[in-house]
Amino acid sequence: MSKTCTIILIFILYSSLSPRTEQYITKQGKISFFSYTTVEDIKADNNQVLSIIDLAKNEIAVSMLMRTFVFEKELMQEHFNESYIESDIYPKATFEGIIQDFDSSIVGTQTKVIKGPLTIHGITKNVEIKTDIENTLGNYILSGEFDISIEDFDIKVPALLAPNIAKTISISFKFEYLPYEK
Amino acid sequence: MKNKKLFFLLCFVFGMAFVQSQDLLETINKEYPNEPLKAQATFKTTRISIGHSVETRKQGLLEFHVMNRFWNTPAPRTQSFVADRMSSRIGLEYGINDKLTLGAGGTTWDGIFDGFLKYRLVQQQINKGGSPLSITLFQNMSYRSKATDNIYAFDSFGDRLSFTSHLLMARKFTPNFSLQVSPTLIHRNSALFEEDPQTQFAIGLGGRYKIGHHVSIVSEYYYVANPLETINTYNAFALGVNWEVGDIILQFQLTNARAMVEDAFITKTRTNFNFNDGNLHFGFNATYILHLKRNK
Repeated sequence: MSKTCTIILIFILYSSLSPRTEQYITKQGKISFFSYTTVEDIKADNNQVLSIIDLAKNEIAVSMLMRTFVFEKELMQEHFNESYIESDIYPKATFEGIIQDFDSSIVGTQTKVIKGPLTIHGITKNVEIKTDIENTLGNYILSGEFDISIEDFDIKVPALLAPNIAKTISISFKFEYLPYEK
Repeated sequence: MKNKKLFFLLCFVFGMAFVQSQDLLETINKEYPNEPLKAQATFKTTRISIGHSVETRKQGLLEFHVMNRFWNTPAPRTQSFVADRMSSRIGLEYGINDKLTLGAGGTTWDGIFDGFLKYRLVQQQINKGGSPLSITLFQNMSYRSKATDNIYAFDSFGDRLSFTSHLLMARKFTPNFSLQVSPTLIHRNSALFEEDPQTQFAIGLGGRYKIGHHVSIVSEYYYVANPLETINTYNAFALGVNWEVGDIILQFQLTNARAMVEDAFITKTRTNFNFNDGNLHFGFNATYILHLKRNK
């Protein structure tokens, strides 16, 4: 009895302490968002998004600083940070998800759904994001597009600017991962 | 007994494994590059209300300024609609680069033309290290186009020039609250009257409190250490509301300062701040910002 227990214990210890080679990271992930209205098109890019995937558990985490979004107009960037997303109070947007039915060993492109909580502007919503996962000889590229409603994240638009800012913002992302070494 | 111990140990190890699996987000949050984060929008506008703030415009931004002051004359009956008198300063400001702004303008009532340079020396950093303050240098030159009443005074072109230097120091204490202190030196080429000092020292205090996403309350006060001797002057005070939306910034203020150029309103404000006609000035600044250079 105690022998089996010890074996199990050693096994768990080994598995939990063994170095993880199954993690892949990117520090230059790209996220863009678009707001299309008849009055104005607004686009912003962030090329400093951090993301990590753990293929052992099919988990993914994404984190970015809101202030690193670059807008075409400087003043828009200031308004975005100061009046809409309030990046002094909520500096980061994060996402944690689980890639559904994902087999990391398949080489080539597969489309999977990632489910998990997305936090923007201090508000967390569960989202499902359809993602193309490309596996090229051990390097992974994740890309996709999804929409969010600004109302869901309590981002208020003054009535005067309501025609300029879309109620639904489309977000596109592309992450190119490399093996993670601690 | 032994089994119980083992059970706890097992629980502990399972717990450890669980804790380890939780930290994917923590792992990347540790991977952020250690870059300085500068305070954004300490005042958002280049004027707090009547005077300059530490803010400079980014490279390639052109600002159109229309600053207005409206007031009534103390005369008991007047024929004017809404306000008896008004003064406007129309000006342009351009960001040569992210740190250096060049501006010029002209005022209708007192006929003062002014030009200035503003240089952002230090920007406040909000993460560890760096400066706790934002510091901006300001230098203007103004030309009084109207002749003086004093027939004994020299009044050539050079005599009509005045110079104001500000050392603008501000700190964004919270995302909503910013404070500015601005030691000021004002020099006139001609003091007009012998008794009046040619060089005056002043200190400005200004604050901004954000009450909404786009609305903030602002206030300013300028203390003059050695005021003019030949006329009664009061320290300039302003209380206002700034509304920042899109490419337009509107500033509304109640003030006792009629002039809009630094050397004039800091040292030559002849009315005290109260609600009597002739003293209370309603001010309205409209700023439109044009992006001559765009990112990408």
